[in-house]
Amino acid sequence: MEQLETFTVESPDAVGAKTTKILIQDVLADLSLNRVIGRLKVFVDPVEPVFIFTALLRLGTPAIRLKDFAKVEMGSLGKDEVKIELQREAFTVKLLNKLWEKYGKESIEQPDKKIIIVKVDPVKEVDTVRELVIEEPQQEVLDRLIDAIALRIIPEGFRVRKHELSTSHVLFVASEDTLKPEWIARAKEMLESMRSEKDA
Amino acid sequence: MLEPVMYEGGVYKHNQIVELVEDLGGYILQKNVMQTGVVLLMLVPINDMAIVEAKAKDLLGTIMRAPLTGTEIATVAPTLAYHHLPHLDCDVAEFLRKKGAKTNMVGLARGVGKRICQLSAYERDLINEHDLAVFILGNYEHCIIEKSKRLYEGIEVPIIVTGAPELKVEDVPNATAYVGSFGRILHHMRHSEELRTLDKLADVIGNVLDNVRKELAKDPPAIAPPRIKKEIEDQVQEIIDSLHPLPVTLQMNGARVKLPYDEYHEQIENIKFVEGVTMKEVARVLPSKMRNFILIRAKPKSETGFVI
Repeated sequence: MEQLETFTVESPDAVGAKTTKILIQDVLADLSLNRVIGRLKVFVDPVEPVFIFTALLRLGTPAIRLKDFAKVEMGSLGKDEVKIELQREAFTVKLLNKLWEKYGKESIEQPDKKIIIVKVDPVKEVDTVRELVIEEPQQEVLDRLIDAIALRIIPEGFRVRKHELSTSHVLFVASEDTLKPEWIARAKEMLESMRSEKDA
Repeated sequence: MLEPVMYEGGVYKHNQIVELVEDLGGYILQKNVMQTGVVLLMLVPINDMAIVEAKAKDLLGTIMRAPLTGTEIATVAPTLAYHHLPHLDCDVAEFLRKKGAKTNMVGLARGVGKRICQLSAYERDLINEHDLAVFILGNYEHCIIEKSKRLYEGIEVPIIVTGAPELKVEDVPNATAYVGSFGRILHHMRHSEELRTLDKLADVIGNVLDNVRKELAKDPPAIAPPRIKKEIEDQVQEIIDSLHPLPVTLQMNGARVKLPYDEYHEQIENIKFVEGVTMKEVARVLPSKMRNFILIRAKPKSETGFVI
């Protein structure tokens, strides 16, 4: 799936659909989300009124954990410590911040550029440290995506909203009045139709 | 009748234009010197336009009619969210400013939605203090029409509505004029097509303001607003120290003075003119809804019986 393979805005109001399409392009470009969205379908009916936004996502790398770039093992025999041996230094700053936040500055030592000692009970903590999430690129992208859709694209007056958000798709239905079940059904249908499009 | 015009020319000898206009009984409202160029916004007596034009020709400058000069315009957005700002709203406000108007941006508290939009009493009064209001609306024909039915309740100044579809004025309820090709635009308006749309908006506003001027001329104000500005600048020292943009902002039928009402309204009411009258005889000095400023509204000739 390439970026923005499908991009349609449907509406009984042709002029409105055209300007809405430009608006969505502007917002996606502003928040650099162009590469994140694979397929996108929007339906707007101002008379009902309803705004449906559905998209298939292609998120980047999943969360980065400590074990992905470091060896984590028990420290020297008889001492209460966990030893981290870094293989890549790219995340050191973020890692240190996370460790300080979790265990306090006094229990972290860095005797060498690539070695970090955490003074905690190794039996209990070694697995937790190993699984520590250092960076969540996907979550950052999703946050930006929500900012784009909920705060910039959907008309402000449409305060009643239903949304679905996962790592593979996003679905927003918004209106000024109570949501009707057929709108949600239509949104699901739009999503399915995009899923069934053949990969080019 | 004073004609609002803009002079563009070189700095060299531009004082001759300034002096000529002042001698003719006109007013210089703003002077911007940009390197070797100068832009003057001024009001010239309509009967003496030919003399001023001839002088401008001598100096190799140009005189252009600038109908937005000396007016205060409110650009109204449904809210102050990303949906409207900074693009479009600021673009419109900035563009009208370049054309000589003073623009104020108003963001409504509950202006969103076509069914749920509201205008509070304070917002309504604030907008009514301006010469004209530009409502910047969105993309959909249905929404613009529905919203127009209720949003402008109580607004007495001319209302210009902008939106994406090309509609006729008759289709937009309560609007004085409608300008299409705008809509909710989230990028800076700088393409030639978009600039033409802004030009069109300025033209439409100019026409509406000209009509208001014609109406005003039927029962002219007892004092010309630029005269109010001049006398305040001459007689109230504190206005010189005011750091507000345009401390005395001209309107078509008065002026906004950016000094606190409680402290200064008596001093302003008692300003004396060489004709022997005081300000309170020719104008009403009112508290403004904007901060604690002073709003001056000229009385019509039918009320005072004379014009100075």
